[in-house]
Parts: sequence; structure tokens; C-alpha cells
Amino acid sequence: MKKHLPADELARDPRFVRSDMMAGFNDPRIGNQGNGRRGPQKLVPSLPDAPERSRALMHGIFVGELQALEGAGRTCFDFEVGKGVEEPTEVPFELKLDMARQCWDEARHCEISVKLGDWMGTEIGEFGEQVFLFQAACAPDPLLRLTGVNRALEGLAIDVFNTMREFGQVAGDPVLEFCEDWMLADEVTHVKMGSDWLRRLTEDDTERRDQALEFQRTVDRLFSFGGFRGDEDDSPIRLARRFRELAGFDDQEIDEIAGLSTEAREMMEERMAAAATLAETGS
Amino acid sequence: MADPSRPRAAFAPWDRRELPGSFTVEETARRVGHYKWIEMRLFEALGGWVATVPELDVKLRLGTHCYHHAWHSELWHKRLPELREMNPDRLTVPPNDEIVAFVEAMTKPEAPDETIEKLVGVYRVLIPHKIAAYTYHLNNTSTITDAPTMRSLRFALQDEFDDWRDGEMLIQSLTETAEDVDRAMAHQANLEKLMLAAGGIAGPGSIGSTVDVQDLDEESGQKEMAS
Repeated sequence: MKKHLPADELARDPRFVRSDMMAGFNDPRIGNQGNGRRGPQKLVPSLPDAPERSRALMHGIFVGELQALEGAGRTCFDFEVGKGVEEPTEVPFELKLDMARQCWDEARHCEISVKLGDWMGTEIGEFGEQVFLFQAACAPDPLLRLTGVNRALEGLAIDVFNTMREFGQVAGDPVLEFCEDWMLADEVTHVKMGSDWLRRLTEDDTERRDQALEFQRTVDRLFSFGGFRGDEDDSPIRLARRFRELAGFDDQEIDEIAGLSTEAREMMEERMAAAATLAETGS
Repeated sequence: MADPSRPRAAFAPWDRRELPGSFTVEETARRVGHYKWIEMRLFEALGGWVATVPELDVKLRLGTHCYHHAWHSELWHKRLPELREMNPDRLTVPPNDEIVAFVEAMTKPEAPDETIEKLVGVYRVLIPHKIAAYTYHLNNTSTITDAPTMRSLRFALQDEFDDWRDGEMLIQSLTETAEDVDRAMAHQANLEKLMLAAGGIAGPGSIGSTVDVQDLDEESGQKEMAS
């Protein structure tokens, strides 16, 4: 078996439909049912499109968990055991053990999200699958995998699970709330793993730490698209500050992610305003 | 209640544990180092394969089993310093080149249509050999002096039996034609020959060896030392 599997070689059965990120964001079932408004809107059960949006989100969680499982598995396999400090082709034995543990956790998350998806009336493949998570999980440097996946994307998962947990609470769905709470506990553990390994592997190498954190910022920026995840009350996915703190983020880091989201949201609102003006003037 | 001042034997009447065992500290450390090596190769392979199998149930099982074997490797890693090996990496080695060849052949299947080969290598060849070696060790070590190794062996064996059953059922569910049976059997036979050459996961003597009468201790009738 070769090391470093490219994302286009991920094995899937024919039910799965691969799509790119823009196609995913532009899927009318995820936004406002094609009415033209694409700005931030918090997911609450009273919205007319809440069933569709929550089903799409659950499907997104499922494929995200699947790729997180695959990514953690590849990190077990792709690197030799070593100190992981000088050679980016090596990782400490204990890091591999953490990734194996994450494999088990992500496998359970897949099982949970398949069952919740069934319960919500969603079929596998009903929504597109984007493979950005696995792409981040396949960075050649294991440290980038840890910051890109464990801190950025698993951090996003903390925000998503917290949002879905609250959605379950408000919707009166105790099973959804229960499961999301359990998955949230695992995600805090995974993010903490990323935070701990980042600190340990870059203890004497600030340059490498800065590079890894920059990669994390890039991934975070990507997922703050249009204010999708943010600190505002109406953000579709709300930053879960308390759980991020438990996972090793400090206030400054959380503020930075919130800042990225605000920036992305303002940019989106400017574009929407410009589009509206264009539509009014007809030019 | 029994009189608390009445002296009692250290071993209760039902406690039949005995001091003699087949393995010295050094031999135990050697075996444990080989166990750690093979568990590592196994959890790495299972983790790597997750992304290469299209069957969803298999994918999720491999992810789960990956952790079981990582945990076993951690148990053995922690046991080594307790066996006077303060540098666990020194003994985390294959017993011989033949087992390396076996692992290379077992992990060779990569394509999405080779799930049967992947599963056969692990669940019909490697795990049964692990069960055999662990059982031999469990049944031949000193039940008093080496109780910590026995405890880890029992934990590992429980996982091995459960995982073997999972894997065997997956193989059976994927086997739909006579050609599938042939494929599975051919791959199994090839790997079994490599494992035979290796002598088992801990090398020759993994499950003991055929004992000549002259090797037996005259008084106890037991073999003096594992070969």
C-alpha cells in the first residue's frame, strides 16, 4: 500500500456523489430554498426550511466524519515512528496511538450520524460530498494535519455539534440532543489532542509552529465563508467558546476565528448589496 | 463471620496458581517486543486501508479495529520497561525477515476491489496466528510472577476473538461466487506459507515447538525452557 493517498482515490460506493465546495455552498436546499437570500441565518426549528437544512447539515456531518476517520487512519499509516521534531516524515508513537483512538471515535460518529440521518429521513448520497476535510488530512507534514484537521476542522465540528445539540433541544428531539452531546465530548478530546501535539512538537521550533498555525488560519478562513460560522447571534453555526476553551484554545485564538468570520460575513453582505443594486438598476 | 485472628494460608484452597513458567524475563521481553511490532504494523495497515475500501460497514469496522490493535501495542510498549527493557524501541522489532515479508504481502492489496484480500490477510491469517501465540504465552507463563503480562494477554485475546469474528463475518458476506472463494483461498494460502516461514508472530516457537522427550525435565515432566 502506498503512502499518502490523494483525495480523488477515496473509495466510495455508488451512492456517494462528489461535488466541489462552491456547489455545496450553492445547494439551494442548504440556504433559503432558492429565494435569492444567501446571508447568515441561524438554524432554528421554526424556519420553514429548517427540516431540509438540518438534514443537509446531518449529511454533511456524516461525510465529514467519514473523511475524518479516513484521515486519522492515514496518519497512522503514512508516517514512520520517530521523534517527529526534525523530520516531518516521522511522528511519535504516542501520536499514532492518538490517531488510532480518533479512528475509533470517528467510526462511532459515522454510525451515529447514519442512524440520525435515517431518523431525519435522509439517504446517503442525497447531498453532495466535498472532500476538503480529507485534503487537509493529507498534508505531507503531520503537523499541518494536526492543525488543519484537529484544530481547525475538529474545532469547527465542536461548533457544529453544539449548534445541532441546541437545535435538538429547541426542536424537542432528545435523541438528537443526546447524540450530539456525546460527539461534542469526543471532538473536544480531538481538538485537545491537536493543541497538545502542536505544543509538544514545536516546543523548540517557533517557525514551524507559525507555519502550522498559518495553515490552520487558512482552513478556518475557508470555513468562515460568508459568515457561515461566527460569533453573531444569527450565525448558522455559532462559535462554541466554552468548549473551545476546554479543547485548549485561548481567548485570543477564539477572537481571531470570530474576526475571520466577521470579515467573511461583511464581505458577503457587501457582495449581496452590490448584487441587489445591480438587479435594481438592471445593468 | 470467620474469626479474623485465625491465620489463613496465602493461597485460598481454590487458588491453583503456580510459580513455574516457561519464560525468563529476557524471553518474555523478547516476545513482548515482537508482539508490539506486529500490533503496530496491524493498526497502521488497518488505518491506511480505511480510505481504500468502498464498503461502508467494512470501513467503519476497520476504523474500530485499528484502535484495538493500537491499544495492544501500547500495552506491550508499557510492559517492556517493566521487563527491564528501558528502551522499548530496542526490542520493538520483527523476529526475522520472513515476518517482514509476510507483513509486506499482507499490506500489498490497495485497490478498492481488493477488500476480500485485505480482510483475508488480517482475519484469516494474522489474527488467528496472534490468537495462537498469545494463547500459548498465556498458558505457559508463570501465573504468579508474570501476572501483568497475562492480564494484558487476556485483554488482547478478548479483542482478537471479537475482531476475528467481525472480520470472518464480513468476509463471508462479501463472498458471493466460487471465484471469490478461490481468490480468498489463494491469498490465504500464499500468506500462510509466508507465516510458516516466519514461524509465527514471535518467530519459531511462537506456539512452542514439538517437544522431544529428552528436552523434558525429569522430575516435573515439563519442558525446561521455551525454544
